[in-house]
Amino acid sequence: MTDHATQLPHVTPRITINRAGLWLFFLSETMLFSGILATRFSLLGTEVHEDVSQTIGLVITSILLASSYTALRAEHAASSGDRATCAKYLWLTLALGAVFVAGVAYEWAEAFDAFPASTEFGTVFFLMTGVHAFHVITGLIFLAILLNNARLGRYDDDAWPVEAGVKYWHFVDVVWVFFYPALYLI
Amino acid sequence: MNILRGLVGGALGYVVGAGLMMAIRSSAGGRAWEVESVTAGAWLFALSGWLLGVGVWRYWARGWFGRDVAPYTATGGRRYLDFDTDHKVIGIQYLVTFLGMFFMAGLFAMLMRWELMGNGEDIVGPDQYNSIMSLHGTMMVFVAVAATVGAFGNYVVPIMIGADDMAFPKLNAMSYWLVPPVLIALTASFLAGGYDTGWTGYAPLSVQSDVGGLFFNLAFFTLGLSSIVGAINIVVTVVTMRAEGMTWTRMPIFVWSIFVTAILSFIFTQFIGLAMLMVVLDRTAGTIFFDPAAGGSPLLYQHVFWFYSHPAVYIMILPAFGITLELVSTFTRKPLFGYKWAVGALLGIMSLSAVVWAHHMFTSGMAEALRKPFLASTELISIPTGLIFLCALGTLWLGKIRFEVPMLFALGVLFNFLIGGITGVFLADVPVDIQLQDTYFVVAHFHYVILGGGIFGLFGATYYWFPKMTGRSMSDRLGKVHFWWMMIGFNATFLPMFILGMQGMNRRVADYSPDLESANFAVSMGGFFLGTSFVIFLFNFIWSWARGPAAPADPWGSLTLEWQIPSPPPHENFTSPPLVLSDPYGYGDPDSVHADLARDGAKTVVEK
Amino acid sequence: MSGDESKKANTRWVVMTGLLWVVATVLGELAVAAIEWHPFGASREARITDDAFDLLMVLSVPVISFVLVMGGVALVRGRGGVIDEDGPPVRSHRLFIGGWVVLTSALAVLVIITPGFSGLDELRAEPVPDLVIDVHAERWNWVYTYPESGRETQGELVLPVDQRIMFRISSTDVIHSFWIPAFRIKQDAVPGQITTTMVTPEALGEFDNADELRVQCAELCGVGHARMWTGVRVVTEAEFEEWLAGAGG
Ligand code: HEA
Ligand code: HEA
Ligand code: CUA
Ligand SMILES: [Cu+2]
Repeated sequence: MTDHATQLPHVTPRITINRAGLWLFFLSETMLFSGILATRFSLLGTEVHEDVSQTIGLVITSILLASSYTALRAEHAASSGDRATCAKYLWLTLALGAVFVAGVAYEWAEAFDAFPASTEFGTVFFLMTGVHAFHVITGLIFLAILLNNARLGRYDDDAWPVEAGVKYWHFVDVVWVFFYPALYLI
Repeated sequence: MNILRGLVGGALGYVVGAGLMMAIRSSAGGRAWEVESVTAGAWLFALSGWLLGVGVWRYWARGWFGRDVAPYTATGGRRYLDFDTDHKVIGIQYLVTFLGMFFMAGLFAMLMRWELMGNGEDIVGPDQYNSIMSLHGTMMVFVAVAATVGAFGNYVVPIMIGADDMAFPKLNAMSYWLVPPVLIALTASFLAGGYDTGWTGYAPLSVQSDVGGLFFNLAFFTLGLSSIVGAINIVVTVVTMRAEGMTWTRMPIFVWSIFVTAILSFIFTQFIGLAMLMVVLDRTAGTIFFDPAAGGSPLLYQHVFWFYSHPAVYIMILPAFGITLELVSTFTRKPLFGYKWAVGALLGIMSLSAVVWAHHMFTSGMAEALRKPFLASTELISIPTGLIFLCALGTLWLGKIRFEVPMLFALGVLFNFLIGGITGVFLADVPVDIQLQDTYFVVAHFHYVILGGGIFGLFGATYYWFPKMTGRSMSDRLGKVHFWWMMIGFNATFLPMFILGMQGMNRRVADYSPDLESANFAVSMGGFFLGTSFVIFLFNFIWSWARGPAAPADPWGSLTLEWQIPSPPPHENFTSPPLVLSDPYGYGDPDSVHADLARDGAKTVVEK
Repeated sequence: MSGDESKKANTRWVVMTGLLWVVATVLGELAVAAIEWHPFGASREARITDDAFDLLMVLSVPVISFVLVMGGVALVRGRGGVIDEDGPPVRSHRLFIGGWVVLTSALAVLVIITPGFSGLDELRAEPVPDLVIDVHAERWNWVYTYPESGRETQGELVLPVDQRIMFRISSTDVIHSFWIPAFRIKQDAVPGQITTTMVTPEALGEFDNADELRVQCAELCGVGHARMWTGVRVVTEAEFEEWLAGAGG
């Protein structure tokens, strides 16, 4: 019973394996964030909350989106071996990310008075922004490590770590693209 | 010692995290120290500290900071206490750890049966009873979810597909080393007086329970992390690391079962994390997810919990199905009957398992309109599950049957799961479930499927692969004694529970009405009988590992790849990358060769 | 054995398996019919539920006996295998697989799901109550209020026979579950929510004579969970009116 089937290439390239792992991780995380969104709709329906600051929401969202762009540039630079440009854009991304976190922190400070955790909206707000901010902060830590290593030229031959960190950063941004309207607009 | 470093790291992490939490709390104007909030917040830090200390730092993370990683030097037995990245070491670590947890949880069950032996409260009060019951359920669920996948998914799957290791060996080690914190949290919970919510931890009761409940949440959360990491690793391994010629339709059915299990695991486990997180927030951060007075919803917890925990029951059973079919084919010396239908069944169960969760909530007060769709979807799962039986029966038919110990366990799975599955169909019928929900009928149902199916499968796999893993044979005679003792004890314990349930005994009670006493006495006797059967197993397991006769490479005459290499396998598994030529079920076909293991002339030793 | 002979032998085994299956099924059904599975039942709902249970019992006998008989025959026939002797390389059998898929699907859809649906419909028929009772659960006792008369009781639930009764169930602290085994009704008491369930008691009786006539908490609610029960007494309508009005109870 020897049939002729398509045969896998003997050894899958490391980069493919790594990418597969990363994407499965994103898929898994997507389930977490979908669960959080579902929780939000189950508790709040489609209620709009007036107390959130539309200005801050808009500003931090734009900043996060901008940081996705700078992250992309860093990845491109890394893959073409341009460590100076890569480092520059990683810096920018870090800075923008930090501003985003600061924005969320400011919102939190406001929230403690306007809609504390003991209210329906507050509960949802702290869950969504909290879990998301946790991911942003871990992303910032990754980016900082990447920045340090990129400057020292450790990614000149293998830009995978940069790619992974940047993809993660994009992922966290995409999550916010869904969270932002669910918190501020609907 | 790395474990020591891990403990120190964990303690340091806890201190740092606790400091941070206390700073936040006092700056928010509260009392700095409050054990629950501080511990909840510090847990992630403690986890990170533990992982870094136990080996992540030395062997891995130093590299991120441009330092050289330490050379790995442990050899021999010490590897099992180290951050070893060999999938075979990790498989054994999982097996031993979870067998240990199984025996602990079993001893709790013995205590429960002791208390329930007679009417009235004899041994423990209702409070302790609830704690013991909850710990028993929780630990057993952990065993059922993680033991088979962790032990044999790790040990056997890479070899079966012709790989030299998992796709991410370091992550693999990390997913194992996330388990000791689970044990620590469970112990802490026990020492803190336990919790009285059952393994399901329904809110709002769980929000109000003592500090032990917090540790339950943290333990479940941590096990979830470990499962997700491990599952991603398995999926990537199966997708990308198969040897040349190992196409999807040539994969052993056990690999398929673990693959599908891992998919379920990395997708759904996030929800248990979310459920636990929300309870912890309600307990410590003043949120109101489950507090109806402030607009929260108790039913929300149940939805999120069962959205994970129903698929989790298939995480518990699918590996056992895979093992059963593998063993039935090996010990009938026949190809697996209806291979594609078996694969289809696994995929069908996987897809349906996402849409049946509310059958645990028929009486919960959820919208009436949801009952019918969930009744229907639950009943539909019988169809793919039935296909597993179809394949097993088709393989048995005309088989040349050898009643080796693993085969006995496989037959045990088929018998027990048949009863468990059919009684599941009863429970899915809403009118019947309304009466039987939260009675011993349910308790009997899930022991039949988890213990009778999943755990029998785990023991079958242990007997089957023990020679491969240790290079030694287990005593056949003791194995047979264990099987029959366990099989009889199991049925004697859990069959009467169906009757108890129908007679109106509800679960999670330390005391019951007097007319149920004789049946409960019988159940307890059966339980003790069942419990002692494991003494034989333990003796056989330990003695054979230390002293058993050397095992040949392929004692069972099986064709899958792991049996074509020496016992125990060498570090890199194969001397040359295997070339797979056909599926591993070529029994009765003398021309069939599963794989060429000596492509570049290297010789592998195989004796029968 | 020549091909022809082995084919004949095989047919004989198949026929024998079939016969055994029929015999086992008949015996199984007789045994199932002979056993009284249900505890004391005292309501319209109990009849519906017990019928549903009995139907499933009847259906599961042939399924279980088929798996056991076919497996058992195969084991007996094939026993004594040795490591060097392979079985025939049969990988598929169209009739067996096709028949199995069709039959189990039909079984699931036609004889399990459909009766399940109609059983549910039956339970929900007659939605207009003659009497409403408020049931309130808190750790760890039950409080019953009869809104029309304002009467409130704790130790015992008194119900009139042959009346359609609706319970409106609520809870203050954690989830409890309102279960009367003799009536086969169960409904969780969820804080922040009013759940309902309906029953028509059909037999007189009280807890002292029938254990099943009790309100039992069926959802773990803490230390007192096991003891969170009260007796139920079903009385005639006249007695009930008297009880409601009187100071007697
Ligand atoms: C390994 C774990 C496992 C497995 C595999 C299953 C399998 C099934 N379970 Fe079970 N279940 C649990 C573990 C499991 N369960 C646990 C732990 C609980 C309790 C949790 C708690 O509350 O603590 C529970 C509770 C539970 C309930 C809720 C009871 C209640 O609390 O009120 C229900 C209700 O529908 C249910 C149904 C089913 C069904 C229909 C299946 C089906 O998958 C079974 C399908 C199999 C067969 C039907 C047999 C083989 C098929 C054939 C031979 C084909 C022909 C047959 C037909 C067409 C009918 N289960
Ligand atoms: C894998 C799953 C699994 C397994 C294997 C078991 C095994 C057993 N269970 Fe389990 N049980 C559950 C999962 C499991 N259980 C779950 C999920 C619950 C629900 C909890 C809840 O409601 O929340 C439950 C609840 C439960 C109840 C209901 C409690 C209640 O509702 O009040 C009962 C009652 O009898 C019971 C009994 C038993 C018994 C007698 C065994 C026996 O099989 C145990 C056999 C005995 C041993 C395994 C001990 C052997 C040990 C030795 C021989 C000593 C060796 C010594 C050393 C290593 C030091 N269990
Ligand atoms: Cu109230 Cu259990
Ligand atoms: Cu389920």
